[in-house]
Amino acid sequence: MDSFKKELTFVHTQAYPQLASTDAIKNGFEAFGYICSEKIATAVFLASQLRKPILVEGPPGVGKTELAKTTAQLLDAPLIRLQCYEGLDEAKALYEWKYSKQLLYTQVLKEKLGDLLQGAQGLAESVERLHQFGDIFYSEEFLEPRPLLQAMQEERGAILLIDEVDKSDYEFESLLLEILSDYQVSIPEIGTVKARSAPLVFLTSNNTREISDALKRRCLHLYIPFPTVELEERIVRSRVPDVDESLRHQLVGFVHSLRQLDLKKVPAISETIDWARSLLLLHADKLDEELVRSTLNVLLKFEDDIEATDGDLRQLVREAVGS
Amino acid sequence: MPENLVSFIQVLRTHDVRVSPAETLDAVNVAAALGYGDRQRLRDGLGMALAKTAEEEAVFAQCFDRFFDRRLADFDETVEEKLDPSATAETNDNPSEAPQTDPAVIDNPLEAAAADSPELAALMESPLMQALLNNDRNTLSLAMGRAGESSGLEQIQLFTQKGQFTRKILDAMGEEQIRAGVIALEQKNSPALPQLQRYRDILREQVRDYVEAQYLLHAEGKTRQFMEDVLSKTRLSNIEHSYLHRVHELVRKMAKKLAARHSRKRRQYRRGQLDMPRTIRRGVVNEGLMFDVYWRRTRKEKPQLLAICDVSGSVAAYAKFLLLFLYSLQDVLPRVRSFAFSSHLGEVSDLFAQHPVEKAIELVNWKYGGATDYGSAFTDFASLALDDINSNTTVILLGDARNNRGDPKLEILQSIYRRARQVIWLNPESRRAWGSGDSEMLRYQSACHFTAECNNLKQLERIIDQLLKSTR
Repeated sequence: MDSFKKELTFVHTQAYPQLASTDAIKNGFEAFGYICSEKIATAVFLASQLRKPILVEGPPGVGKTELAKTTAQLLDAPLIRLQCYEGLDEAKALYEWKYSKQLLYTQVLKEKLGDLLQGAQGLAESVERLHQFGDIFYSEEFLEPRPLLQAMQEERGAILLIDEVDKSDYEFESLLLEILSDYQVSIPEIGTVKARSAPLVFLTSNNTREISDALKRRCLHLYIPFPTVELEERIVRSRVPDVDESLRHQLVGFVHSLRQLDLKKVPAISETIDWARSLLLLHADKLDEELVRSTLNVLLKFEDDIEATDGDLRQLVREAVGS
Repeated sequence: MPENLVSFIQVLRTHDVRVSPAETLDAVNVAAALGYGDRQRLRDGLGMALAKTAEEEAVFAQCFDRFFDRRLADFDETVEEKLDPSATAETNDNPSEAPQTDPAVIDNPLEAAAADSPELAALMESPLMQALLNNDRNTLSLAMGRAGESSGLEQIQLFTQKGQFTRKILDAMGEEQIRAGVIALEQKNSPALPQLQRYRDILREQVRDYVEAQYLLHAEGKTRQFMEDVLSKTRLSNIEHSYLHRVHELVRKMAKKLAARHSRKRRQYRRGQLDMPRTIRRGVVNEGLMFDVYWRRTRKEKPQLLAICDVSGSVAAYAKFLLLFLYSLQDVLPRVRSFAFSSHLGEVSDLFAQHPVEKAIELVNWKYGGATDYGSAFTDFASLALDDINSNTTVILLGDARNNRGDPKLEILQSIYRRARQVIWLNPESRRAWGSGDSEMLRYQSACHFTAECNNLKQLERIIDQLLKSTR
């Protein structure tokens, strides 16, 4: 059991008793309102045991980001989030030098230069004296940590969420490789900075483009599909507890049949929850066509989709109520 | 178990799931962390470490079930059912003997027969027979696995080998002894015969199933790889229609591979880093006060690919594949514009973008097919795209340069040649035929950076790879 931890001994790994078994994880998540499948629990368990990042893929709105947030809540660890976008680079993700501070210090220290070089014979000796001070301007003092570096500096281990990594550029992915496999970064001016404690890393992707093999290789791959009817009902129950049993069953059934249609954007779990809340506000106790029609914009976000379902609505509602 | 896991990963690899050695180690660690107790959980865990896309996961699940399930679960029932004397008609097939046997012998005629014959008694004592008699599935499947290993079942490649391997495994397991027993009983016309025959049949059935499962596991992937290998080296015009869909898959795979390899450097952003040398240099005029700050910035490069494909009758056999390749390339690479021509030329990028591949190719052929006229095609091309050609543009021409003795309009190609970063001509004809008859290839060649003969997929891949490397 311990043999595979050896390779990480140079980085401290925080042990999380909350993640000791898949059942503990499931129950722990449930306490925070995140109902997860066995597979998700297994993934989190493995991630904490092997201290490998998880690459979470799946359609939008199935709780990819939520998984990281809930893990942070469960472990009571700081969540550091890095939202990816096109053009994200190391200066925004990893670290930056505090240029203005460096410039300010050069100006302030300029006057001290005379004192320092006093008595130096000739240019060569002056330069030599200056060399003794090393690169004071490129030290940790002047380093501005960005999310990735912050996550590694966290004493007790952080939860690092790299959100929508598919939106970033290929170059950025390469930047992540060192961090994800060894939990360290190389800063040219300073050297290699190791994590104080290996963070638990979640990467999410909506699959808008293929993630490189190199990155995938370093991660556990977790695909979260849309949940089954039973699971989704449990999720709704946990998130919107006031909705009564029969309505919950009907609305989840309706959303599931919507997902079978050819839509631009099928409703996700988050939409189901929003819809359940809306129905609750409207004091509905069962679905009917009129009610669904007037609230459909909570579920479907494209006018085309709403129009496309309009014809089938009566049938769909009848099925959902009947089932 | 790790060895088992490693051979499982070997199987995955033959099914096109790419598993690196590092991932193999991960899988071993996953198995150690999860234990072997919960099959479902182990499957989920291994899946996470080994399969990295949805497709790979599906393949993984299938292989996992085939590999770790020896399908001996129903063995128990088969035996019970077949041993129930009242349920099987076979016992009553010998009416002459049935009345003679007393109830005790019906209960177990085999034991009664064994009491008479020492050979049969020895057979009954053999581990194989014991396992069959006692329904010991674990022992049987272990023996089967061992026999399979010693006979080299993992090397199975063709379905015609199945019988041969079944025989080998049966021999290795000691089925011969049972066979001899059956013959002996047959000669004696013993009432125990059907029972022993049933045991023999059960054993044979199990081994056959096992070989079948192993064949699916080991050979299916290999056969496919073999097919792909052959297809990619066959002249495009010789590939039969029935293999077209396979070629389509292959071409897509190729195009995707190329795109993945070459699209990395497409964009580069680097705003936000201070250009220290420049800032200091400019600071000199202000007595070293670094008043103006300069930021580092790299030029964004956007390579563009224009592909022109001849779809006239003379290259009809190739055009299908070239279009297929163009289609796939446009699917995976941004900034590809495709053109097709025979006498006049038109842009087909939109057609490709809007329609599925078969339909798109059909439409292109229908719209642009006919007799070749490179001259007018070039004129059309120049009016459509010449203004867009700059030092970032690569132009690929796919065609045989047979112009039916018309005006080749070389000057247009020359002007493209001057503007573009690269002009590449891929000709399906062999180099020896270039310039023969109405081929204008030798003249056109003078206005190309690179010309190549290209008539199978391997060549096509190699050339495009080279070309993309140089466009970076």
